[in-house]
Amino acid sequence: MANMINIQMPLWQLLLLLLIPLAAITIMVVWLRRIAYKHSAPEEKRDWSVPPLADGSGASLLHCWDVRCKIVTILVCSFAIASLNHLEPALVAIGVSLIILVIARVSFAKVLLRLLAITGFVCMFLVVMPFSVPTHNGDTVLVFNGMDWLGFNLRGLRLAATIAAKAIAIAVLMEPLLSTAPLPVTLHGLSRLGAPEMVGQMVLLSYRYLHVFRHEAQRMSSGMQVRGFRKRTDLETLRAVGNFIGMLFVRSFERTERVFDAMRARGYRGRFPEPAELRLRTRDLLLAVVWLTAGAALIAYDRIAW
Amino acid sequence: MHISDGVLPISVTVGCYVASAALVAWSARRTRNEELPKLAVMTAAFFVASLVHVPFGPTSVHLIIPGLTGALLGPSAFLSIGLGLLLQSLLFQFGGLTALGANALMMGLPALACGWFFQRYKGRTQLRQAFVGGLAGAAGTALAAIILAILLVAGGEDFFGVAKIALLAHIPVIIVEGVVSAFTIGFLTRVKPALLQTSFLRQTKAAHG
Repeated sequence: MANMINIQMPLWQLLLLLLIPLAAITIMVVWLRRIAYKHSAPEEKRDWSVPPLADGSGASLLHCWDVRCKIVTILVCSFAIASLNHLEPALVAIGVSLIILVIARVSFAKVLLRLLAITGFVCMFLVVMPFSVPTHNGDTVLVFNGMDWLGFNLRGLRLAATIAAKAIAIAVLMEPLLSTAPLPVTLHGLSRLGAPEMVGQMVLLSYRYLHVFRHEAQRMSSGMQVRGFRKRTDLETLRAVGNFIGMLFVRSFERTERVFDAMRARGYRGRFPEPAELRLRTRDLLLAVVWLTAGAALIAYDRIAW
Repeated sequence: MHISDGVLPISVTVGCYVASAALVAWSARRTRNEELPKLAVMTAAFFVASLVHVPFGPTSVHLIIPGLTGALLGPSAFLSIGLGLLLQSLLFQFGGLTALGANALMMGLPALACGWFFQRYKGRTQLRQAFVGGLAGAAGTALAAIILAILLVAGGEDFFGVAKIALLAHIPVIIVEGVVSAFTIGFLTRVKPALLQTSFLRQTKAAHG
């Protein structure tokens, strides 16, 4: 405690420091969300979250890249970013991810939605950590109006910002990984890398029936609304929701049986046909090596510079 | 609540990956091979159920349902939850792949525990099954919150405060989840009790002939 730097500040500056950034973030989130919604899915209300099963139409560097190389490289790179410990390398990582985003020419609106999905969790860190981090030697603490219990620790803010930067850098990388190839091809690449083939099949099946069941759920809930059901905070609502989920399960399980029978009737023997032939070329490997070197350089920067 | 990428130290991240891979393998072994496609389709149903939002005062909470998944699927629940999270990471916007192992542990372990608890203590009467189901539902979310806090605390003492807030934030979800699970289980005991047997896959198959 002896060496920590205490800076006394009047209380109103706490408002400046906390409320204004928070308000700015909130306004930005609302604004970005509006943009993101506008740019994706004009026709259906919730289907923005669904990338088309087959959209290998783009022709960027990442679209032609061998899918196996792509998966390995981006996964390794994500883990490399996750292992960074300092703010500056994490910010550089965001820059690298953004460059890749531009190269891959993926839909910006979808990336935005990915980022919006993690805002809640990340903002919790940004708000809580400056106040809750224990003070160490050499920390700079802003104390407002002499209220010692409410010290705003700059080290905590820095730690939270590092976490936020890493989360953003990795979230941005996901879109180039997933939307530069049709999903079946990506999953096929995964199984060629040694994952059990069943994993890919199960993802495809769940993906397909997810939409069936979601439509079923929408039908059920509009039926409930027609009969006068409104969601409130009371036991009756919870009872209705409980029954709703129970009914959803009953219907889906019956459907599951029929789906499986139909699959077997068509000769399903535990395999789907291969969606694409994969061929590894030198430039695929070259791109992977370049990218992985960038990841390794980031870690080196993180560990050696401090 | 899911953990996002970059929060946990890299050793914890990798450790969670290894542990959940082992549990997925165990869970897949406990499921018969030909049931796996069916499990995939049912995962979709659980996924849709977890999208349901319930109003709670001025805000709304969304269900996590690890307890219900465990009660209905038994040992296969871990596989189902892992698949659901992979799907969420792949296709929906939430999160990258580095936190997948930690999230799978956070949801899957409570599911296994609650599934066992429900099957062990469910008894015979409808009322008791609904009550035990509610307990399992609430316990599932509570356990998930506790695991989340433990994982956060693994990052060092700097994370204690965040872990506490995360635990507190789960309290309304625990209450809502418990009540909804009780009603859902109660509904299933009346409408389709066969679903509440862990080995229900085999039973319905026998019924099909």
